[in-house]
Amino acid sequence: MNKVVTVNLNGNAFALEEPAYEALRAYLDGANARLNGNPDRAEIMADLEQAIADKCRRHLGPQKNVVGSAEMSAILEDMGPVEAEPAADAQTAPPRDNRAQPEATPRRLYLIREGAMIGGVCTGLAAYFNIDVAFVRIGFVAATLLTGGFWILAYIIMMFVVPKAETDEERAAAHGLPFNAQELVDRAKQHYAELREQGSRWQDDWRRRRRARRRQRAAEREREFWRSASELEYQDYGTRVAAGFLVPVFTALSAFLFVVMVLMVLSLVMTGGILDWTLPGDVPVWAAVLVVVLAYHAVLIPLRAASRASYEATAGPRHGWIAAADGLLWVGFAVLLFWIAWETSPEVRDLLEDMQRGWRQYALAWTRW
Amino acid sequence: MPNEEKLSSIRKGLLEFLILRIIAADKVYVADMLTRLAETPFATQEGTLYPLLSKLRREELLDYEWRESDAGPPRKYYKLTAKGRAQLAELNRHWKQINATVEELGQSA
Repeated sequence: MNKVVTVNLNGNAFALEEPAYEALRAYLDGANARLNGNPDRAEIMADLEQAIADKCRRHLGPQKNVVGSAEMSAILEDMGPVEAEPAADAQTAPPRDNRAQPEATPRRLYLIREGAMIGGVCTGLAAYFNIDVAFVRIGFVAATLLTGGFWILAYIIMMFVVPKAETDEERAAAHGLPFNAQELVDRAKQHYAELREQGSRWQDDWRRRRRARRRQRAAEREREFWRSASELEYQDYGTRVAAGFLVPVFTALSAFLFVVMVLMVLSLVMTGGILDWTLPGDVPVWAAVLVVVLAYHAVLIPLRAASRASYEATAGPRHGWIAAADGLLWVGFAVLLFWIAWETSPEVRDLLEDMQRGWRQYALAWTRW
Repeated sequence: MPNEEKLSSIRKGLLEFLILRIIAADKVYVADMLTRLAETPFATQEGTLYPLLSKLRREELLDYEWRESDAGPPRKYYKLTAKGRAQLAELNRHWKQINATVEELGQSA
């Protein structure tokens, strides 16, 4: 037998067993204390009491008119702790920070050595305009052809004038943010505001940002790790088998493209044309070779993406082994294709023999000298 | 689970956004919000929700009216204000950006 206490919860009378009353009292006192300073404290307390009253009512019926202590702990458990700082208070501050953070990193033009063919000018421009580097390269080659080689000068000047992205910081700035009009406007505003309050604060700011970015990167890496681990489970069996079949198909295709590209380049260098087609007199051989190489890379981009996706679908996130095996397979395919070309096409055979002869002469000259 | 603490801070940050979305879709009672969130990773409780709602009301993002109910006393029936809708639109846009960024960075990694 327990003593019963009657309480008034937001205008509703309830009979509680004494331990239940104590628990409720402790909960409400705690809530009241934590809401101290909140202008809506009275209203929130009334809301909470009302919610508790509703839950109590659910436990009561015609045959039962007292709330026991077990029921009260279930109810309070259900209510959850009252948070002093509403979840969103903590959240409204950081977003301002986060927004300022990327906008405060304006995009800059840098030379980027990763994936560069010559000086990194094209990779840098590609990052700056957020487009694929193949298009930049094609644009450069086209401009060079149209200006009769003059555009090469622009490249060389940029190589010397544009700074290299050496730190992670600078690489990030080279990529900047995805481009859109809203951001342009935001950034302009941001710059204006920054100009006004810039000063000694700048350095602290920069350090803070760098720290934040490092943290962010670490979190991203971790998330990526878990994301792929969980996606692995999502791939159903059929997809994995299909992807497994596709891997060698992509590999064969890529080896084929490579062989074609090499033969085209060789043919251009040795004979100044491809099969029956010869270069127009005013186009230099090196430009044609460049076009072929760039076209090869451009075609390869979607193919690479596709085969990477199928690695992942077949073998999951830790697909290193399959990529390595696939590399060997690629070499095998390439050798096979060269052999087939050698066996079946007299043109290719002539070409390769020519090259061999040329190479021998070159080696001979070299040893004599 | 990688790290419950990290995940919970992400959830906390998004709760306000989700609440605004729920209210924007339909005028709702607190109990409706709780049930709608209950099935999701964002399940929350009265102890969290009431202080959050009162904060949002103070910021004039939402408002409520009293509604008589068949069982029990009148309830608060929440709806967005014009300011709330404007902020929600901004949050939606920002969310898309975040999403795009996460996708993009994930791909390149």
